[in-house]
Amino acid sequence: MSGFAFDPCDKCEQMMQPYLDRYLTDAEIQEAELHLDGCEYCRKRYRFEVEFRTFVRHAVAEPMSPELKAKLRALRTPL
Amino acid sequence: MSDESSARQLATDARDRVRFEEEALDLSDQVYGVARRLVGSREEAEDLVQETYARAFRSWRSFQPGTNLRAWLFRILTNLNIDRGRKVQRSPDLQPLEESDYFLYNKLEESSSDGTPDERRVVERLSQNDAVTALADLPHDFRDVVLLVDLADFTYSDAAQILDIPIGTVMSRLHRGRRMLKGSLAASATEDP
Repeated sequence: MSGFAFDPCDKCEQMMQPYLDRYLTDAEIQEAELHLDGCEYCRKRYRFEVEFRTFVRHAVAEPMSPELKAKLRALRTPL
Repeated sequence: MSDESSARQLATDARDRVRFEEEALDLSDQVYGVARRLVGSREEAEDLVQETYARAFRSWRSFQPGTNLRAWLFRILTNLNIDRGRKVQRSPDLQPLEESDYFLYNKLEESSSDGTPDERRVVERLSQNDAVTALADLPHDFRDVVLLVDLADFTYSDAAQILDIPIGTVMSRLHRGRRMLKGSLAASATEDP
């Protein structure tokens, strides 16, 4: 983290979400990975983002009841 | 059309319809998972999912085989949710988000007793209930996008088609929605004793 105008960690931070979403060009992916390989600060945050996404997904998951499943099957067109 | 060919047509039709319905039903866990977070209660979610499937089965002919059935179903789901007249939203909080993307991690690390902990341990400090509440508190436009991309794994362009908004809007709402989510989780995780 330096105070330069183009702080590579700032840039990495901006690319983090699209990187995780696989929504970057090949060149951008390469740039992000090159930075991540050499920067422990950003790598920690990258790993956190991965963990965080899994956490949210599990935290808000609620399975459907078997009753609802049966009701949906009953909506099928009778043969 | 001869009796024989119309009978054959009917049989083909029935077979296609059965296949369509089975494929749609295979996706019901995912549909329910998102529906549950689009609305406030389990009952509402169950109604919404039943309406979604009833409509999908009624209009199965408008689905083009070979296109994305999952996106087609989720489009019905999100449209029905909008039609149900979701609760009038307080105007989204449009104050500039000062927080950076690394905000939540920085906040958790800063308030951690053991310096720079393992990232997994940092996530463990977040509570499940707080995540549910934080998601429910997002303005619905933001929540729709976050649910489609982060929960249902749709691409930006699928989410754009499902919600009928430009892809740039998907990206900005997603980005903002995620930051809001992190902001409220940071607040609840660091204010507890």
